[in-house]
Amino acid sequence: MSGVPLLVTEGLTAGYGDFQALFGIDFEIHPGEVVALIGANGAGKTTLLKSVMGLVRPSAGVIRFDGVPTSSLAPHQIVQRGIAMVPEGRRLFAGMSVEDNLLVARDHGRLLAGSQPGWTLGRVHDLFPILRDKRHAPVESLSGGQQQMVSIGRALLCQPKLLLCDEISLGLSPLVIREIYAALPTISAEGTAALIVEQDVGLAQAASSRLYCLLEGRVTLHCPSSSVDRAQIARAYFGASEHAVA
Amino acid sequence: MQWLDATIQGVLLGGIYAQYALGMSLMFGVMRIVNTAHGDLLILLSFVAISVAATLQVGPYPTMGIMVPVAAVAGYVLQRYVLNRAVGSDPLPSLIATFGLSMTIQNALLAVFSADPRSLPGDGLESSSLSLGPLQVGLLPVHIFVAALLLTGAVHLLLRHSRFGRALRAAAADADAAAITGVNPRHVYAGATALAVGVLGVAAVFQALWVTVSPADGPGQLIYAFEAVIIGGMGSLWGGFAGAMLLGVAQAIGGRVDPGWGAIAGHLVFLAVLAVRPQGLTGRGAR
Repeated sequence: MSGVPLLVTEGLTAGYGDFQALFGIDFEIHPGEVVALIGANGAGKTTLLKSVMGLVRPSAGVIRFDGVPTSSLAPHQIVQRGIAMVPEGRRLFAGMSVEDNLLVARDHGRLLAGSQPGWTLGRVHDLFPILRDKRHAPVESLSGGQQQMVSIGRALLCQPKLLLCDEISLGLSPLVIREIYAALPTISAEGTAALIVEQDVGLAQAASSRLYCLLEGRVTLHCPSSSVDRAQIARAYFGASEHAVA
Repeated sequence: MQWLDATIQGVLLGGIYAQYALGMSLMFGVMRIVNTAHGDLLILLSFVAISVAATLQVGPYPTMGIMVPVAAVAGYVLQRYVLNRAVGSDPLPSLIATFGLSMTIQNALLAVFSADPRSLPGDGLESSSLSLGPLQVGLLPVHIFVAALLLTGAVHLLLRHSRFGRALRAAAADADAAAITGVNPRHVYAGATALAVGVLGVAAVFQALWVTVSPADGPGQLIYAFEAVIIGGMGSLWGGFAGAMLLGVAQAIGGRVDPGWGAIAGHLVFLAVLAVRPQGLTGRGAR
């Protein structure tokens, strides 16, 4: 890829207490690009996202967003610079309506220059029409797929330049997964870059232009999504020989 | 008629408890902080109010106008620079911090104001009464009750319909999720405590008007706030209000049966609620 990357990590090392989850990750994503991050459970995908978001403090390495180091910033400051996250498990604000969940993001997201068109409640409703009908419903009353739509809408209303999606298909039916992934091109059409963490490798490949595979906290594969075969992915995914290939 | 009178006096007494309970329930609901210095902050603000009224030669309501912003700023600073260090999933650090604060306030008051009880002159408000048919009620308790109702309603509306209220509810529901939605939880917490202590600015003026205050009174008031909040269901604003009414009525009726039974009747109702409905009147049960 040419041009200036939107987000770069160099030698990113992070963990929780004595447990080290990431060992020197070099990663980059460019404006408007969709990149997939795959890997087995415990490979460090969520830790990488949390480090970028400021929820986990890296112990070494550099994270630069828009050319500025961000590792000393708090999560809300990172949001205001233009990164938003759809967290694993959705993490909606229980006890609040769909609309109030979305309004929190609209109130506190990145400030746009006067003329810049951004995400509005109306545009989120156009993307996921069911949220218009359910706007006064408490979020707990929604189905899993509808809750995921609220979580994505909430992240979009933070006006991100980079959207981090952590396992947005987890626990959803194939039909709902298709509906949610169908929103991705509309989101990238805005020039928003997306980093998607996905368990379903086929889905990850189809939705992205490049992919990274993590294994035990290290990058084991980095390539264009279309030019990679299953055997290569399986080796990077499991680290072992070929017989695990699906 | 005697019992109707006792019930009405009890509801009015509940008004002051509702004012104590409001801030307590807000802090618990948002940050899971059990503020054991709540009563001492009230008494501290009462002493400050008495000094302000005496120095500036102003009546109780202008004093309140000065006390509310002072209390709110004090609450903001307290949260931002002290209690934010103790907020977290473990309730013990904040309990110890507020307990330490409680000790500090009591002893500082004793050193500065001595142990003498004081009160705030109310320009006749404290001795006026109203006739409700055959019943006589004090004008001051009516003011206190109406203020409690307005304060609870105002805080309710603020939480439901303002930008700050949404951020507060979001941070209360899931602080990390709020942070990745652009909310600074530490700032929101400081705002919540500013609101809670700001409400105490109102309660403190009423407290000093209605009864005398002395430096060691805080823990006694804390118990009433605590009981009201638990009877109502922890973290629920209107639950705390209802709990305060029930506590006030129990104390007033107990006091009619035997003048020594007022406080104990309130405690018994509290214990009965804990035994029968530990989640409180509005609580949804174990989660």
